[in-house]
Amino acid sequence: MRVLAEGTSAYLKVDPDGFRAHVRDHKQRALTPKLMSAREAVARFVADGDYFVYDCNYFQRGPSTLLREVIRQQKKDLWVCGKFTYVDVGLLVGAGCVSQVDCGFFWPGATIDKAIADGRVKAYEYSNIVMTLRLQAGAMGLPFLPVRSFGGTDGFEHSGAKLVEDPFTRQPITLVPALNPDVAIIHVQQADRYGNARVFGTGIAHQESAMASKKVIISAEEIVDTEEIRRDPGRTSIPYYAVDAVVHAPFGAWPGNCAGYYGSDTMVVVETFAAIARDAVGEYVAKYVTPFADDAEMFDKLIGQDRLDKLRAAETITEGYRA
Amino acid sequence: MSIDLGLKQAAGTRAGSFNEREMQICTVARLVEDGKTYWVAGGGGPMYAVLLAIKLYAPNAQYITEDGVIAPEPMLPFEPVMTMVSSRAGYRALAWGTMNTAGNHAQLGLMDYGLLNTLQVDQHGNINSTAIGTYGERSRRFGGPGGADSIAALCWRTVLMTDQEKRKFVERVDFISSPGFLDGSQGARERAGLPPDTGPYRVVTPWAMYDYTPDRKLRLVARSPWVTVDQILEQCEYPPVVAGEVGLLDGPTEEELHILRTELDPRGQNTAERSAWVVFDGETYTRTEG
Repeated sequence: MRVLAEGTSAYLKVDPDGFRAHVRDHKQRALTPKLMSAREAVARFVADGDYFVYDCNYFQRGPSTLLREVIRQQKKDLWVCGKFTYVDVGLLVGAGCVSQVDCGFFWPGATIDKAIADGRVKAYEYSNIVMTLRLQAGAMGLPFLPVRSFGGTDGFEHSGAKLVEDPFTRQPITLVPALNPDVAIIHVQQADRYGNARVFGTGIAHQESAMASKKVIISAEEIVDTEEIRRDPGRTSIPYYAVDAVVHAPFGAWPGNCAGYYGSDTMVVVETFAAIARDAVGEYVAKYVTPFADDAEMFDKLIGQDRLDKLRAAETITEGYRA
Repeated sequence: MSIDLGLKQAAGTRAGSFNEREMQICTVARLVEDGKTYWVAGGGGPMYAVLLAIKLYAPNAQYITEDGVIAPEPMLPFEPVMTMVSSRAGYRALAWGTMNTAGNHAQLGLMDYGLLNTLQVDQHGNINSTAIGTYGERSRRFGGPGGADSIAALCWRTVLMTDQEKRKFVERVDFISSPGFLDGSQGARERAGLPPDTGPYRVVTPWAMYDYTPDRKLRLVARSPWVTVDQILEQCEYPPVVAGEVGLLDGPTEEELHILRTELDPRGQNTAERSAWVVFDGETYTRTEG
C-alpha cells in the first residue's frame, strides 16, 4: 500500500497481538466479584506511565470520583486520551499527573498553556472522533482504521495518522493507528459486582474504551443484582469480562451531571473552569481532594447531604434512564 | 432582496433593540433548510440557531450532536455547558448513540449540513481552534478541533459562524484544525482523502454573509443594514470577492428575539455576551459599541 503522507508525532505503539495475549492472560472469564473501593481500584490498576482513557468528562457522566482518586494518589507520567474534555486534562496536568496528551478537545487555559510551553507536557493532535475511531480499531483487535476525515489538516501533520492509496478504490484514504490504552475509567449508572455495566443515555465511547483497554475500572451510581442484569440483557453496555474493578460511587460524576440521577453542581462547575483558567489547580485540589481520604468523606464534610439531595431533585427527567 | 440567498422571510415586527450576536443567530436560523439534517456543534450560536429555526421556519429540520443524540426535542433551557450527554439536551430524541454513531452517520452521507462556531477562519474556510501563533513555538494554545474536524470533513455543506474581526478573519489560519477547501485548489479535499462534493457553504458573521464562488473563493453576498461593504472589508485580513450586488440582511424580529431570550437562552449565557447593540427606530439601524 503506497503511503502518500504521514504525520510526524509519537503515538502509542500499535500491537494487536500483544493486546490479544494480554486479554488471554489477564481478562477474567469466570464470573468473579470485583467490587472494591476507589482507592484500591486506582492503586491496583492505574500505574505511573500508563496510557489513560476516561469516558465522557468531569462534567457529564464522567468518572469524576475516580479522577479525583488518581490525583489523590499522585499518579505520574500518564499519557492521556484528551477527547471530549472540558477540564479533565487541565486538572490532571495541573496536578502533575500527565506527560503526554492526545488532543481531541480540552478546555484550554493557563495550566495547559504553561505546561506545553515549558515542555512538561507534549500534545499530539487528533479530533474527538478520530480518537473514538482509534479506540474502535483497538476494540476490534485491528491495527488501524481508515477514516474519511482528518486528512489535509495540520492536526494530521502532528499525529500518528497516514494517508495512503486505498488498494480497493485507488483513492486516497487516511488511516489512524489503533489505540489500546493501558487503563480505562468509566462511570455508569448501574453495574453488578462482576462488572456487567449499564450506561443509560448517550455517551462518547464507553464500549470502545472498555473493550480496547488492558485494565478497566467501572464506577457505578448503583450496584444492582445480577438477576436484574439477566432480566434485561439488552441494556448491558459493557460485559463483565472486559472489566477489572467495580467501584460503588454514588455521585461519582459530581460536580457533573449523571443523566437520570442528578444534575450538575453549577457553582462547582464554574469554580473548576476558573481553576484551569487561572492556573490554580493546586488550590482546587487542596480544597476538594487532598484533605479527604475519599469522596464519601468529601461529600460528608464539604458538600453535605442537603446539597446532594437538591442536585438529585433537580434531575426531573427519568424517561430512558430508569429500567 | 433581489438576489436569492436561500434565507427564509422573517415575517412580523422588526425588533427595536438587539445585539449583534442575536442578529447572527437569527440570520443562520433563516438559512436552515426544512427537512434536512444538521450536525450541530455543542452549545452556543449553532445550537440556538437550529432550535430557533425549528420553532419558526423549518419544523421538520432535524439535528444531531456529537454524543449521538438523534433528532431530540430538548427540554429548554440547557444548564450551563450541559448541551451534550445531559437528560435535557437528549430529551425525546428518536435515538441515542455515541460519538462514533454521529461520526459514522456523517461519514455515510446522512448529514446535510454542519453548523459550527469558529475561533479563526481563513479565505478558504479552513478553521483554527488549536493554536494562535506559530504552532510549537510562540503560540497560545486552544482546545483543539473537538468534533468540528469531522463536521467540516463529512457533512455535505458546512455553515460557519464567526466574528467579523480582522484577527479572526484571516488570509491563512495559523493551524488548520478543521478543513475548509485547504489550499483552495481544485480537488484538494479529495486528494487529502475527504469525501467529494463537501465543504464550506456559508460564513455568517454579525455583519455579513459570505458564500463561495465556483472556484472556492470566499465571496461577500450580504451585509447587515448598519454596516457598509467598506466597513466589512476593513475587518477582513484578506479581501474577499464582493458579489456584484451585495444583499441586505433583515434585522431580527420581535418574535425571534422573544424565543431566543425567553426559551433558548434566558440566562443570556451566549446571546448577551459582549457585542455591540443595535437600535432600530423603524427606518434606520444605529449601532453602539458594547
